[in-house]
Amino acid sequence: MIGDRGLSDYSVEASGLTKYFGSFKAVDHVSLQVPTGSIYGVLGPNGAGKTTSLRMMLGIIDPDEGTSRIFGDQRPQAVRHRIGYLPEERGLYPGMKAREAIAFMGALRGLDWGEGRRRAAIFMTELGLERVIDEKIRKMSKGMAQMVQLVGSIVHAPDLIVLDEPFSGLDPVNQERLEMLVKRERDRGATILFSTHVMAHAERLCDRIAIIARSQRRFEGTVDEARALLPMQVRYTPRDDRDTAGIAAMLPASAERRGDAWHFTIRDGDVEPLLSRITASGHGVTGLSIARPALHDAFVHIVRQVDAGFAADATSDAVQEALA
Amino acid sequence: MTPFLRSMFVIARRDLIAIVATPTFLLFLLAPLFMLAVGALGGVGASQLADSARGAGRIVAVLDASDVEAARAADARLRAVFGRPPVTLEMRIAGTTAPDPVAIAREKGSDTYAVLSGPLATPRIVEREPGSSAGRYLALLASDILRTRTSGAAPPVAPRFENLASGGTSIAAQQSMGFAAVFAIFLLTLLLAGQTVGSLAEEKGNKVIEILAAAVPLESVFLGKLIGMLGVAILFIAFWGGIAIAGGFVAATQIDPATLAAAGAASKPAIALTAAPATGWAFFLGVGLCYFILAFLLLGAVFLGVGAQAATVREIQMLSLPITIFQVGMFSLSAAAAGAPGSNLARFAQIFPFSSPFAMAARAATDEARAVHLLAIGWQAIWVAIAIFLSVRLFRAGVLNSGAGWKFWRRDRAAADR
Repeated sequence: MIGDRGLSDYSVEASGLTKYFGSFKAVDHVSLQVPTGSIYGVLGPNGAGKTTSLRMMLGIIDPDEGTSRIFGDQRPQAVRHRIGYLPEERGLYPGMKAREAIAFMGALRGLDWGEGRRRAAIFMTELGLERVIDEKIRKMSKGMAQMVQLVGSIVHAPDLIVLDEPFSGLDPVNQERLEMLVKRERDRGATILFSTHVMAHAERLCDRIAIIARSQRRFEGTVDEARALLPMQVRYTPRDDRDTAGIAAMLPASAERRGDAWHFTIRDGDVEPLLSRITASGHGVTGLSIARPALHDAFVHIVRQVDAGFAADATSDAVQEALA
Repeated sequence: MTPFLRSMFVIARRDLIAIVATPTFLLFLLAPLFMLAVGALGGVGASQLADSARGAGRIVAVLDASDVEAARAADARLRAVFGRPPVTLEMRIAGTTAPDPVAIAREKGSDTYAVLSGPLATPRIVEREPGSSAGRYLALLASDILRTRTSGAAPPVAPRFENLASGGTSIAAQQSMGFAAVFAIFLLTLLLAGQTVGSLAEEKGNKVIEILAAAVPLESVFLGKLIGMLGVAILFIAFWGGIAIAGGFVAATQIDPATLAAAGAASKPAIALTAAPATGWAFFLGVGLCYFILAFLLLGAVFLGVGAQAATVREIQMLSLPITIFQVGMFSLSAAAAGAPGSNLARFAQIFPFSSPFAMAARAATDEARAVHLLAIGWQAIWVAIAIFLSVRLFRAGVLNSGAGWKFWRRDRAAADR
């Protein structure tokens, strides 16, 4: 499906996207490249500028600066039939039945109504929602309606699926269904771009991520690269702990003893030398765990750094203002 | 079909079905019953208009110059005698060529109830209605002039009464039809074009608008909504028009024409059944539908464009109010123009884009010229296009509040790319 429409390395290429709302800079020179066929997460705290960035990429709103290409085309509007979009603010006509709502959303993207109804039945059955397919949206739970909208955004088999906070409001069962659906669409060949502030989903799904904080992109890379921003967490319990000074000398200066165990952090390249030192020291090993930090930790670290920078700038500005 | 048109019709279809396939649409269909109540008020206005038109009616006497003074004196005497004097007497001097009383009776600008011409002893009296008091008054006038001329010993006058065979619908009746057309188009556009804002409010409330904006050009959302509501409006008109035509057909097949003609001579409502607009019923109704569609598109576009600037239903109502008031102003202007065909006021109302559909519909009732309607429809279509163009830009800016730097006169990138 994608192959015969022309492949490019990147489904989405955004460069220097900037948007002001009044004097507030909601998005500040954000650039992203979403590889075709990948699952790409845009992560960020609330109000970071994720939704505005996605809207600009899709051409829903015009950027004040910067450009966006989708499938190599500078006119996102021209390729919109190849895009599926689930906005952050969910919207369905309450008086419509689920089947009709899905077919309608497909028809907006050029899918025949009848085919849309047929695919709606297949999707809804796969998601275990076949019993509500002819229910009106107003009679559905929020989660069900959200799943209907999600199906509506992919019913036309788009090449690019953009999901803005798709997991919010879903119970764990539906979250799992959604993850399954996202993976299946990727396997079909679609590119998935989604925003979230829940790291667990990104960690499980994403091939690459971008972290946006305070309107700017602060990180871009794989999940592992993000986690590698922080040192690994080590918990070491020696078999013979009588020589406390000797053990402390063997470990990094930051090592801290809590009960029987020593806690410290090390960088990637320091793992093997550490193991050699422990083996050679004769203190033995009762327990040793070396854990990479979670994406959550990396995310919090990045956001805190940005916030700290802003606080410092604000203080500096205040001081300069006072001195002036 | 292009993707733009296809998406436009998807939106139109959704809006049409969403409105039509609901029980409340039945209530909406019955709205004309409420409109009838309001229409009764309008009828009072129409009646007053007709009365004022009747006031401008006349009887005409074509006389020798030597008889004018005598006629004036006779008219004064007779008016003093009659408790309810007839309409104004207009006197004309008979020329070298024989006057054409039928042509005089059909002159525009005023209803002519009867025309006297020829020798006073055997005058020819062309009257609009057979046995009318206007015709008898002119016969009396001739008799009185003759008596004055012969100092009281005049032979009896032997008038030859003729009925005006065709063009029987009075100007007053045609003006009433014009007013009715203005009123109907005004009420329908106000009732139905206002609904477009309601559908937009629904989408803003449901947050569906962003899905639409992401999936299809906003221009096609705008036009789809307009066409969807136009579909509802035409369905509405077709329903009531069908009932009216069916009713008329039943009446036509059940009532004997001779009976109707006899009744027509006796009662005003029956006369109304036999009345016809100047351009004929088929043209009048056809062109009236065209004017309704143009008025609907014009007003609907304005409603949508302005309504898109509002964030809440309350704001939509507030923003709609000035448009409604403006439209009432256009109705008043057109109604006044309908009462004064051929006047400068009427010409202005026919040219001014927002009153033109109403005023031209009224003109179709009183003026038999047809070609001018093609011109008017073209003129109004240009204004509909302008209104849609500007409203789309307002709509695009307002619907997603897409930023502070927006200028409605600046073509946005997306539109420019299309």
